[in-house]
Amino acid sequence: MDPDGVARAFVEHYYRTFDGNRAALGGLYQEGSMLTFEGDKIQGAQSIVAKLTSLPFQQCLHHISTVDCQPSGPQGGMLVFVSGAIQLAGENHQLKFSQMFHLMPTPQGSFYVLNDIFRLNYA
Amino acid sequence: MDHQRDEKAGSICMEQEQQQQIEMVGKAFVEHYCRVFDTDRAALAALYDRGSLLSFEGQKVVGADEIARKLAQLPFGQCKHAVSTVDCQPSPVAGGILVFVSGSIQLPGEEHHLKFSQMFHLVPTQHGSFFVQNDIFRLNYG
Repeated sequence: MDPDGVARAFVEHYYRTFDGNRAALGGLYQEGSMLTFEGDKIQGAQSIVAKLTSLPFQQCLHHISTVDCQPSGPQGGMLVFVSGAIQLAGENHQLKFSQMFHLMPTPQGSFYVLNDIFRLNYA
Repeated sequence: MDHQRDEKAGSICMEQEQQQQIEMVGKAFVEHYCRVFDTDRAALAALYDRGSLLSFEGQKVVGADEIARKLAQLPFGQCKHAVSTVDCQPSPVAGGILVFVSGSIQLPGEEHHLKFSQMFHLVPTQHGSFFVQNDIFRLNYG
């Protein structure tokens, strides 16, 4: 698969997991992973999952509008830049967001999230 | 006495210092970038390198010269960036910094600001400054 295809597949998998089984996101991060979520800084897969599962909403559905990706350097990393919207259960109005992932390859041939930065895009 | 605790406290302090350093560099870079963009767009070429990558609204451009050309050709003359948020994290690429920016661009004569999000991957140069290795820009519509 070409890099754009890989990035797209990863992003779809990430949001499908987020929307369907948020606790399972732990498998996509490692101990050195970093998340900045609306300015809050969190480090390590465990703490990151704790943060994401404690967000003040249960059900949600991500809609992806754009996915851009670029190689980040000789280590085989990929930078992925996503924009889209999150629909919360029972809410008419969707929350627009932008998010960047820095994916690093695993020995098994897949990727994990090393850097993750999330921001809502307010009107 | 409590050597282990001192060591741990020491390494936490180092981490905090590193994070503060990264944020200082990231914010300073963004201010500089926006100032150059808004006043002397051709001079942006100096912030990129031969292997730099720009994705601008989905269009991919490679290398400082092509990137400067693309930015100079954007269909507006004057503009003014207003930055809302800057988030920074270290990148494992030898002292690199990831910078995630959101804000708006004001065009002259237009009342409506264009909202945007942008990410930079800054990599250190031999001379102690940074260049942009990766740059992704998207307008935020709606």
